Amino acid sequence: MKFIEIIGEFLLHFLSSLGKFIQFIIFFFKYLVKPKFYLKNNLSYFVGIFISSIPIIALTGIFSGMVLALQSYTGFSRFSAESAIPNIVVLTLTRELGPVLTGLMISARVGSSIAAEIATMRVTEQIDALKTLNTNYYNYLVTPRVLSLTLALPIFVTLVDFIGVMGGYIVSVHRLGFSDNLYLLNTVDFLSLNDYLSGIFKAFVFGFIISIVSCYCGLFSDKGAFGVGSSTTNAVVISSILILSSNYFLTELFF
Amino acid sequence: MKIEIRNLKKRFNDNFVLKDISLTIEKNKSTIILGQSGCGKSVLIKTIYQLFSFDDGFILYDGKSEVDIDKFSMLFQYGALFDSLKISENIAFTDFINNKTNFNKKVISLMNDVGLDKSIFDKYPSEISGGMKKRVAFARALYKNPKVIFLDEPTTGLDPINSDKINELILKVITKRKITAVTITHDIKSAIKTGDQYYFIDKGIIQDKGDCKKILKTKNKVFKSFITGADIKQ
Repeated sequence: MKFIEIIGEFLLHFLSSLGKFIQFIIFFFKYLVKPKFYLKNNLSYFVGIFISSIPIIALTGIFSGMVLALQSYTGFSRFSAESAIPNIVVLTLTRELGPVLTGLMISARVGSSIAAEIATMRVTEQIDALKTLNTNYYNYLVTPRVLSLTLALPIFVTLVDFIGVMGGYIVSVHRLGFSDNLYLLNTVDFLSLNDYLSGIFKAFVFGFIISIVSCYCGLFSDKGAFGVGSSTTNAVVISSILILSSNYFLTELFF
Repeated sequence: MKIEIRNLKKRFNDNFVLKDISLTIEKNKSTIILGQSGCGKSVLIKTIYQLFSFDDGFILYDGKSEVDIDKFSMLFQYGALFDSLKISENIAFTDFINNKTNFNKKVISLMNDVGLDKSIFDKYPSEISGGMKKRVAFARALYKNPKVIFLDEPTTGLDPINSDKINELILKVITKRKITAVTITHDIKSAIKTGDQYYFIDKGIIQDKGDCKKILKTKNKVFKSFITGADIKQ
């Protein structure tokens, strides 16, 4: 009996949280339709995200490309299909690894910081202060973060794709003995615009997921240091799970 | 503005924080809400401010149930200053985020009113002391010329000298500007010094009320024990 009660309580909690989250998204779009943009705030947030994320984006791209080239060689050399390495590197990066790895890294780097910042504002009554100052927190806090990250992620993914291909090029040419011209030619010839665009579409979706989940976790955090900590953890865990699961459905869509 | 609260009830999940609150906040007077930590004082003023909804009862603002909350202002317990903004931007927050630039003169005048030196104008909240943060928060609350100001534990975390200074400042400003003030505190000394009338809340209901100058003469046993710090069984 106790076991059923626990499951029931869990289900109720889950469904009420889901309802609250959906309501939050509806409110976000409601205020997006009739927005009050704080231009300085929006721009500074976009620039802040961009500058702080570039180093991890570059590292993610270069090492992913390098590892991909090495591992592909290990497999393809068994079938004497080494020439497919540039194709595999560029396709895997643009269609899958670029958006997914960037999403996961940005969720850890930016999503956690959004959740922690907003949760701290909640705990220290700054959210209440915003209300007393006639400032809608959707317009002031949520919209700039969601728009900035949704627009920034496709740019990050483009960077990861480019740097990753360069990483694959470096390993293939300098470590595996590929011809440099042939590698670049194979890469460019094989890549279609659709491959790139499918990755960019995923990036838009992942950017939205990370930012909306992180804002929600921050705004509805529990009180105290524990509340801030758990909202940060929840933001990263939920974003990561949603990125990985939605990636499957998006891949099905573009298959 | 006169605010009348009748039979107000507010709960969080199954926990009734305010069980049955009836009180009147008189126009241009200083009303003090006293009570122990966790008795629902902050919930009460946030409900009056309409930051929280309530479950039962009613609140009338000058006889009407609707109010423009732009006439209200609040000083939060720990200031609630925005860490990423400068002191001047915090004080003139609404003008600053709406890209208005001509607020410097008003900010300096307010800083002067609350006893802040101009040298902190471009500093950030993390660079100033706790007492200064309270003054900045008070200046921010006064920026929009409120008719009613809610003060949530204005002397919390301050040493006795700074507490006295803040109390004197509050008294001076609300008298000069003819603002209705609602202060919540558990500091009896502050209540006597800055208040006209008091309400004592315990376990979600009003246990005692009266003139602040006569607080120490109260006959209510629960309030007496609160004042003396004695532990009594009700």
